[in-house]
Amino acid sequence: MNINGVFIEDTFAEAFPMRATRIIITGINYKWARHAAETMTGFATSVIGCKVEAGIERELGNHETPDGRPGIAVLLFATDRKTLEAQLQARIGQCVLTCPTTAVFAGLEGEGQIALGKNLRYFGDGYQTSKQVDDHRYWRIPVMDGEFLCEETTGYQTAIGGGNLLVFARSLSQVLLACEAAIDAMSMLPNIILPFPGGGVRSGSKVGSKYKTLSASTNHPYCPTLKGLPDNVLDKNVEAVMEIVIDGLSVEDLNLAMRRGIEAICDLGKAQGIEKITGGNYGGKLGPHHFYLREIMDGDQI
Amino acid sequence: MSATTIEYKGSGDHRVDMHWLQQALEQDLSPKEISKSTLKLGSEQVLLGDVFSIDGKLSASELSLKNSTNHLDYVGIGLPSDKTLLVEGDCGHYLGQQLAGGRLICNGSALHYAGCNMQTGSIEIMSNAGDYVGGSIAGNKRGMAGGRLLIHGNSGDFTGDLMRRGLLMVAGNIGDHCGNRMIAGTITSMGSVGKNAGNGMRRGTLLFPSKPASMATGFNDCGRHSLGFLPLLMRDIRAPESAFQALHPMRRRVQRYLGDASVDGQGEVLIWIG
Repeated sequence: MNINGVFIEDTFAEAFPMRATRIIITGINYKWARHAAETMTGFATSVIGCKVEAGIERELGNHETPDGRPGIAVLLFATDRKTLEAQLQARIGQCVLTCPTTAVFAGLEGEGQIALGKNLRYFGDGYQTSKQVDDHRYWRIPVMDGEFLCEETTGYQTAIGGGNLLVFARSLSQVLLACEAAIDAMSMLPNIILPFPGGGVRSGSKVGSKYKTLSASTNHPYCPTLKGLPDNVLDKNVEAVMEIVIDGLSVEDLNLAMRRGIEAICDLGKAQGIEKITGGNYGGKLGPHHFYLREIMDGDQI
Repeated sequence: MSATTIEYKGSGDHRVDMHWLQQALEQDLSPKEISKSTLKLGSEQVLLGDVFSIDGKLSASELSLKNSTNHLDYVGIGLPSDKTLLVEGDCGHYLGQQLAGGRLICNGSALHYAGCNMQTGSIEIMSNAGDYVGGSIAGNKRGMAGGRLLIHGNSGDFTGDLMRRGLLMVAGNIGDHCGNRMIAGTITSMGSVGKNAGNGMRRGTLLFPSKPASMATGFNDCGRHSLGFLPLLMRDIRAPESAFQALHPMRRRVQRYLGDASVDGQGEVLIWIG
């Protein structure tokens, strides 16, 4: 399959089941809500090293937030409920509770509930009070700028992590341009995040390493500076490869995001130096979710 | 299924205990069985059919009690969540006691102890209510434990006595000792509040448009604040059709008093400002 001269490889992106939650952070204005959201989603690129993958889903208008203030929706993904809960509490405690004017609310009904302010309330040292409104319990913790308001729990659900696209181009600037276009297009969509810096990954990894202590190492077959070596798969005209990793709440969300991303890249086309798009997988043995690029672009599934 | 009508025929000067309705609902009795059962009026045993006539089955989700007067005590006691009871007229004491999720609407006034020990559900009284609204019956340690109790008129003394949870809304004025020994929950009003508000209050919120005539001495002035939980609470407060809908949904600026320190309490009296 070729779209605007860009070759779409007949392969799939392999993804994994995750547990995800959404929270809503509000603040006196977007500036402070965003400070909290950006801080709590920092160091959350990969579950391998960060335990959780997190990102800003979108900005929320005053009419979309529980307390009528500007807000930011944040999605967090982890391999299991327990880790998700632990990471959520640690990050809310260190990054949102501490951030001036913010409040935090549940953003997902979900399959079950995990603690949000349930344990954080003890920071109130006995001066915390709760208020139940419409079957939702909120904790009011006295802090130096007034009260930190947080909902007791938030929902979590089964989700998917590790959806991906690999983009091959004739130069670094061209692959960056293509990935930025794809990231912009995908960032418009709900229910997904692109957890890596700016949405892009330059250090794609393979499973295993020659060093026993490492479970993953650089994806040397895709490193352009190793072109010509036996394992390297890059054509001689490819100078840079970039990956976009996508976490989403459902198969449909990932399908749509990958399609929008591929469309945006292919809009630039071969004329802009884009050679190929492929998907990262491990032969289908590790992850139960397989996103076939050509099926996604056929459009019937969207 | 159409509404079932229960018509009160009168009982002279005798008070009528409406526990029979709760029992009939639990046992799913037919109107015929109910009519043949007995009811105590004063020292007399009479047939229920002599005091009430029932048109329809009690399995209906909507029940209507017609010609109700303040002689009828315990109207809607323990009303379960699948029932709505519309009371046409006044009610006696203990309206909606231990309400268990049902919806109870009284088109008139209620005497004392309306909504006492209610668990969940909603009670709406279109006129006034007496003392101990949302309170506790003697001997119980906790009063209203959940749900919404809305009074469109005034309420008497000891409103929300020992209240544990839920929302108690009085569109008119509240008498003395409001929130007495309150454990948690919210009491709000659009009118004036009498003396000694918040006495013995442990936790919970009293939210008023102006300061009560007096507050318990153990309250401290915490100053003026914008509290983030108030817009959330306002959604609940403004949900039913009432005078409270005149309040702005995003209102959050209040004068805060914390107490009652005499019981090491952290209840709050909030007065709207701004």
